[in-house]
Amino acid sequence: MSADTGTERRASDAELIERIVQRDQTALAALYDRYAGMLSSVLNRILRDTQAAEEILQDIFFQLWSAPSRFDATRGSLPAWLMVIARNRAISRLRRHNPAAGDELLETTVVSTFNIETAASQQQLLGLVKGALENLPAEQRAAVELAFFEGLTHSEIAKRTGDPLGTVKTRLRSAIETLKRNLHSAAASTT
Amino acid sequence: MNAHPTREEDFDLYALGALEGDEKLAIESHVTSCATCTEKLAAARGRIALLALAAPPVAPSAAVKQRLMQQVRADAERSPAAASAPPRAPQETERAGGFFGRWWAAVLVPAGAVLALATILLWTENRQLDRQLAALRAAAEQQQQQLQEVREVADMIESHDTVTVSLAQQPGMPAGAAHVMYNAKMGMLMFDGEIAPAPAAKSYQLWLVPADGKPISAGVFNPVSGRTDHWMMKLPQGIAAKEFAVSLEPTGGMPQPTGPMVLVGHA
Repeated sequence: MSADTGTERRASDAELIERIVQRDQTALAALYDRYAGMLSSVLNRILRDTQAAEEILQDIFFQLWSAPSRFDATRGSLPAWLMVIARNRAISRLRRHNPAAGDELLETTVVSTFNIETAASQQQLLGLVKGALENLPAEQRAAVELAFFEGLTHSEIAKRTGDPLGTVKTRLRSAIETLKRNLHSAAASTT
Repeated sequence: MNAHPTREEDFDLYALGALEGDEKLAIESHVTSCATCTEKLAAARGRIALLALAAPPVAPSAAVKQRLMQQVRADAERSPAAASAPPRAPQETERAGGFFGRWWAAVLVPAGAVLALATILLWTENRQLDRQLAALRAAAEQQQQQLQEVREVADMIESHDTVTVSLAQQPGMPAGAAHVMYNAKMGMLMFDGEIAPAPAAKSYQLWLVPADGKPISAGVFNPVSGRTDHWMMKLPQGIAAKEFAVSLEPTGGMPQPTGPMVLVGHA
């Protein structure tokens, strides 16, 4: 089954989700083509295990097929929602938590003001995010990466790096403030 | 309903998964009853999700899509069969069970419903207990860590190798004063100071200027008017300090000083 047609490429996420509700398999294939690469990258970065990453990737899209109405296209961003689910699943697996814990997020709304629906916009955002991370002081960037890609909490980061808890909290808060500001100003300057 | 989180970044830190214990519970219990904060949390989740784009690109193998679509086709074939199953006629049950069938049904159906309800209640309670236990564990771990830090601070203050440096306001710079306690052997630094709030889009950054080599960042801060900033920082051990300085940098700080020196003190 191929989703590589002009019609599929032009269809919005909301239209494709609506067609999945009507049990249209080509719509699911189109969404897979659109977002599997992005999800595969984050799953592999967190798990560092190709087989485990592919299992989760398949499972996420099968869940989208099984219960597409859990995603409310009027209230959220599908790619951001998928990235949240992928990260949560991978970290649950990494930390040997109950994988079912990830299901809680299926009901979660994720709103993004950024357009991530096309390969070109994903590529542009990738540049913005990498630039924003690289501009952080090294210790702040390391703290963000430990939290995001390894799922560590404040005290776990402090234990891992040997830094005081208060220092870690200040670092992460400063990093978040900077990232928010830089991403929004960079996005505003490109639109 | 408990109070709104005081800082916008709390939602991002929650979405990042960095919060734990009471801080995490406070957000979770608040958003269940506050539509505004639920929206803020959804937006924070969207922002934090973007960090996934920083992962190095790894394309999935073609086999994943093949397996997925096989799974989908098998599911699609199963579902219509289940959906089109004809409903059973009510009289069929009566013929098979008669009076005893109705009697058993009258007993078993309510009993089954009660059992199902009890199971759901127990499951819900169990999940709540699990969450509380996890929060308590995290809080205990956090307290232990804070205790360890207090011990380290006490050791630092008692140590003869610890030096105290006063940082003085530089001409034309915002008003402020600070003290730094530094122990090179332990690689520990404590900052205590009060400076006028930084201008828009700027942060203050503390630097350890070594006797030899480039300045080392020792903390980025954004003071609030009338409040003393205080923190402890671990740095690489054994670095002899020539001076300490606070500079004005773009928000979030820089890898090396780029802005004017606001406070300076010689070790």
